[in-house]
Amino acid sequence: MSLILDFAPPLVFAALGGVLSERAGVVNIGLEGMMRFGAFAAAAGAIFSGSPWVGVACGALAGAAAAGVHALLSLRFRADQVVSGIALNLVALGLVTYLLQAVFGSAGVSPPSPALSRDRFGHSALAYAALAVPVLFHLWLAHTPAGLRVRAVGEHPRAAATLGIRVLPLRALCVAGSGVLAGIGGATLSVGIVGQFDARMPAGQGFMALAAMVFGKWTPLGAAAAAFFFAAADALQRQLSFSLRAADLRLEGIFLALPYALTLLVLASGVGRTRAPAADGVPYEPEGR
Amino acid sequence: MPELRARLFSPARDTLWGAFAALILALLISFVAIAASGRDAATGFADLLSGAFGGPGPLGETAIKSAVLVLTGLSVTVAFTVGLFNIGAEGQLIWGALAAAVIGQRALPGAMALSLLGAAVAGAGWGLLAGWLKVRRGVHEVISTILLNWIAIHLVHGWLVAGPLAAAGSGAMVSIAGTEPVSASAWLPRLFAGSRLDLGFPLALAVAAAVWFLLTRTVRGFEWRAVGAGRDAARASGIPSSRCICEGMALSGALAGMAGALLILGTEHKYPGVFRTGYGFDGIAVALVGGGTALGTTAAAVVFGALRAGATRLQLVGVHPSFAELTQGLAVLLVAAPRIFQPLLARLRGRPSAAASAPPVPTVQP
Repeated sequence: MSLILDFAPPLVFAALGGVLSERAGVVNIGLEGMMRFGAFAAAAGAIFSGSPWVGVACGALAGAAAAGVHALLSLRFRADQVVSGIALNLVALGLVTYLLQAVFGSAGVSPPSPALSRDRFGHSALAYAALAVPVLFHLWLAHTPAGLRVRAVGEHPRAAATLGIRVLPLRALCVAGSGVLAGIGGATLSVGIVGQFDARMPAGQGFMALAAMVFGKWTPLGAAAAAFFFAAADALQRQLSFSLRAADLRLEGIFLALPYALTLLVLASGVGRTRAPAADGVPYEPEGR
Repeated sequence: MPELRARLFSPARDTLWGAFAALILALLISFVAIAASGRDAATGFADLLSGAFGGPGPLGETAIKSAVLVLTGLSVTVAFTVGLFNIGAEGQLIWGALAAAVIGQRALPGAMALSLLGAAVAGAGWGLLAGWLKVRRGVHEVISTILLNWIAIHLVHGWLVAGPLAAAGSGAMVSIAGTEPVSASAWLPRLFAGSRLDLGFPLALAVAAAVWFLLTRTVRGFEWRAVGAGRDAARASGIPSSRCICEGMALSGALAGMAGALLILGTEHKYPGVFRTGYGFDGIAVALVGGGTALGTTAAAVVFGALRAGATRLQLVGVHPSFAELTQGLAVLLVAAPRIFQPLLARLRGRPSAAASAPPVPTVQP
């Protein structure tokens, strides 16, 4: 149980980032890259300032900056949103390794960074934030005018525009917010859990967050629940390999593949109407008809 | 919403120039990045060139890397042709590599051809799954192929290669982990002494020529392109669009699977315990920069192959080889948004800036 609260926060934050961007109608395959930038910037910020919370802020900013590129390309220059996200992932992969080498002189790991303080149960404040933020996000998205506007530009941007909502700026804001969340998710990995940056981070967590978002049917609570469920599968696998000597059985691959396979099954079976926001991925042309 | 190809490569006549401009600009940015970190960028680029083209050894390295990129790039391009975005080349490559490693262990007659065939079939199966999910269950291929990638990565790396298919005696030592080695009769033969160039590169070029012929000179290729240009219109003219999508995804997967076989039969000679290729994801970059055509993809694959081969030399001036990935990512960022270059291109042609007068992309709201 305790392990779950360790593994889940990065996934929860990143999955919520995915929900925010896609409910506003912008596909975000770039979560992995945004997490990577966030994880690196958080470690670097924490090391140079000596404070892990400055690190988390740096991570959020770096995620937002990466998301800004995604927003600029896909909204201003009308690049295909999937391509733009993929390009972001590719750039993150190369650029962060390059920066790691340039700043810390190592291609593998950064020096240890100041880590977030933990309470007597061994959890940092971000772990508890991962429990509270989904609820707040749900209330905001479902019950406030701002949340309604976000859903409107994701479902039917032209209708929203006729009511005076400025579609592209709102979408850009949501993409940036998505980057903040993914960046915090990455920061949770580096300064929250491990206490340093590893060149392999986030090792597919961004894509797992994407799966959690889909599994959770593009809703904040659903995505967060899916993220906790996936983290539980991960924790269970580690418990097993410690206690049952299951390392000999080499079953961890099956456990790790499980979340993805379940998501695919849910999508394929069509149980309970899994549907992306109607205008998700559709570029919005203010001049169009 | 315009179909995928129209969205990705809409100003078709500018694709070539867009790709060129993006490549040059990406290299320039990388050059500045190296210089800004206080390294000798000029020497670095000279090393890069000699590492990619300076003699038979470097040329062989370029050819090996290009061959794999040609196949994964074609995989993505074929999927584009039927209007699908195949992000799953990585997963298809992994199954193909595993099939090649397993079949290649047995010293059968014609082991090399059999391994390649098995790899193509395995990759095709994984690609077909995504196609089937698309046409029968309505699962968007971008999501399904991402999920299928990770299912393949975890099942193969975390279970099959570490457990049931692991070589006897390969314990926790990662360096010797992996499957039993491939029998030498299945290895791709080297073509010259003094270079690692093997049969893979000519093979990849032949496959590229075949794909070009299939897509542009046959009825089946015409049907695929029609489906990619407009599924409903194609269906209305009697083209079985669902079947075309499944066929296209199967071929797409087969190409990625063969790319995996080239890696196993050409350089690794077993399925290693640590097999982080990224070639499948690079295939997306190659196809996008290559403008979604067989010829363009092949050319882009050679450029990026040379970049990858040359980047290993950058360590001489203290730059990590991930530099190649950075340049590649920047190039995709820049081709992704052709509108960045539109004002520039218009000025080069002596017309007033087209930024304002550019015709809006024709969008049809549903």
